[in-house]
Amino acid sequence: MKNFIKPFFAIIIAVVIYSVFFKFSIILPQIINVFSLVVIYFALIKGEVFGACLGAFCGLVQDSFSLGVFGVAGIAKTITGFLAGYISKRIDVGPFVRNFLFIFILICLELTLWSFLYFFIFSERINTKNGLIFLQPLVTGLLGSTLFHLIQIIQKKEKY
Amino acid sequence: MLNSLKKRKNLLILAALIFFQLVLVSFQVPLNGEESLFEKIIISLFCPVQHGVISISQQVKRNWRRYFYLRDVNIQNEELNKEIFFLRQENRILKNLLLEFGNKKEVQERLEKTYENILPCRVISMDASNYYKSVIVNKGISNGVKKNMIVVDKHGNLVGHIIEPISFREARVQLITDNSCGVSVFSHEKKILGILTGDGKGQCILKYILVTEENINNGDKILTSGFDEIFPPEINVGKVTSIKSTAGLFKEIEVKPYFDFRELDKLAIIKINLKDNF
Repeated sequence: MKNFIKPFFAIIIAVVIYSVFFKFSIILPQIINVFSLVVIYFALIKGEVFGACLGAFCGLVQDSFSLGVFGVAGIAKTITGFLAGYISKRIDVGPFVRNFLFIFILICLELTLWSFLYFFIFSERINTKNGLIFLQPLVTGLLGSTLFHLIQIIQKKEKY
Repeated sequence: MLNSLKKRKNLLILAALIFFQLVLVSFQVPLNGEESLFEKIIISLFCPVQHGVISISQQVKRNWRRYFYLRDVNIQNEELNKEIFFLRQENRILKNLLLEFGNKKEVQERLEKTYENILPCRVISMDASNYYKSVIVNKGISNGVKKNMIVVDKHGNLVGHIIEPISFREARVQLITDNSCGVSVFSHEKKILGILTGDGKGQCILKYILVTEENINNGDKILTSGFDEIFPPEINVGKVTSIKSTAGLFKEIEVKPYFDFRELDKLAIIKINLKDNF
């Protein structure tokens, strides 16, 4: 049970940030994928199975905030969460640059998967919001690696 | 066998998760089916969080404006007083006109009924996949919101209609800019009928106007016709911005909706056809 409290609160925080972003600007939620950051962070800590399960749940939460087929973002995030946990067990993604590249590639993959599924189901291309969505891997990657790095520093300080 | 299954346990879990979601997806195809109970539960679980965020931000904003940020308040006050003066005059004239249809008490009762059926609401979330498709508002079943009630902006322009899932305190609004939304409309000038759908990019398309039709021009006002039995007649929708003749049967007509995405903060849900009141 203890294992699920932190991720659950992380999802609640992601929903809060997501709502605040919308309140300030409709651009921010398009370039920062907070739900994916939650999935990747916990997949790094707890492994691929947890990443996949959390990815499925976060994806469904994201889907519930959008009109259309419930489960599309869920599938994309499940695979992202699984891969995040799987790869991080084999490659050290701790250093800042490597962490950034890792998140960048995962978000690119997630977007590709999501747009493929969207096209497969709706027979239409995703709305790129004037190309804004292509900035998502870069901005989310930068923000994610900075955040993860900060968390690492804080945790190290707490240890000593 | 058992050993190989144990080794592949992680992959099996992944496959099971994907399979579960594929089943979820397949239940919703063909599109526009009923929302699953699972989706309703998730939306009911997380919408209150958004509700809270919006309430807190509104409170902070209100306090900031009320006690700290008082620049231009005097100018704004003068402008609002002026607007109130003209609105009062307009209101008096309209009430006098209404008195021609009945006595004062009757008109007052009808007006009160009208006020009761206009439900102001706030947007608490926009569509995560495409913000031109839908929004979530902070009124739900507890406020008497039902499926297909129409939603207008603060100027009375059509924004969309309520669709499922509707939770206790929140409801989803399908915008007219969504490409799966259809509204029966007509052009105000020459009363030409058509179907308006969204293009998913913030604009609308007026469909089924024959290429031979010459009575439709740029700048023509588009209003709801009421034939779809969802949207009441004569609500402002938008205006024609471009007309292209094609090799096919119908023209390609682009309509710019009157509502502004930047002002989508405050909306109103109309519970009944207000014209039925008068």
